Amino acid sequence: MELVVPARAEYLQLVRAIVGATAGLEPSMDPGRVADLRLVVSEAVSNAIKAQASVGVADPILVRCEPSGDRIVVEVADHGPGFDAGSVPDLPPVETAERLDHESGLGVSLMRRLADEAVVESGPNGTVVRLTLGSRGR
Amino acid sequence: MRLDVHRSPRDDRVVLVLVGELDLAGAPRLRQAVVAEAAAGERHVVLDLTAVDFIDSTGLGVVVGALRRLRTHDGELSVVCPEPRLRRVFEMCDLDRVFTLHGSVDEVPSERETA
Repeated sequence: MELVVPARAEYLQLVRAIVGATAGLEPSMDPGRVADLRLVVSEAVSNAIKAQASVGVADPILVRCEPSGDRIVVEVADHGPGFDAGSVPDLPPVETAERLDHESGLGVSLMRRLADEAVVESGPNGTVVRLTLGSRGR
Repeated sequence: MRLDVHRSPRDDRVVLVLVGELDLAGAPRLRQAVVAEAAAGERHVVLDLTAVDFIDSTGLGVVVGALRRLRTHDGELSVVCPEPRLRRVFEMCDLDRVFTLHGSVDEVPSERETA
């Protein structure tokens, strides 16, 4: 399944619904895992929308979703400026007042936590995030 | 449906009842509502997420920002979140250590009780 989505937040709900429904057609897919998939797709597509908006690129976002037996692979590709996934800074500890100064920065760690595999390929012409989720919870 | 915010004043607090999905599309609506409450001098705002179907890190970020904004104005934010699937997202981000997640609006103590 492949979706070409306008890079607008209003389309996030639609992407989640379609990807979730695609995964739900797989008999082996645990319902909790479908919820995880909806969350990581939302994170990846939100990052893609924000990345493109940061440089004024209006290209559509590409979302691929391939169920394959006991796993599902989702790929999200944008034409943003790229980023170094390894250099995403850690947030301050939650016990500190400084933590409240950070409204963003949780998306990549959520994707890594929920996906069995999260691969980020990023360069000056854009980013591709490939997330693999097994059919059973982690 | 995206996100609707319904305002419900109660005794010593204002309850913002959220209905829909709290993501990048819904975030501005909530941010705007909290800014209005802080500007109006409301001391205790309750976010009721009972009717929220979905939350992601962008939505969580706005909740964190709401707490910061209200505390800047000597206010406080309480969160009602009975749905286990949503609570899990708070927990995965350790934000259950920042917010007490109440099961219902009636469970939220008043400012006098917490003082």
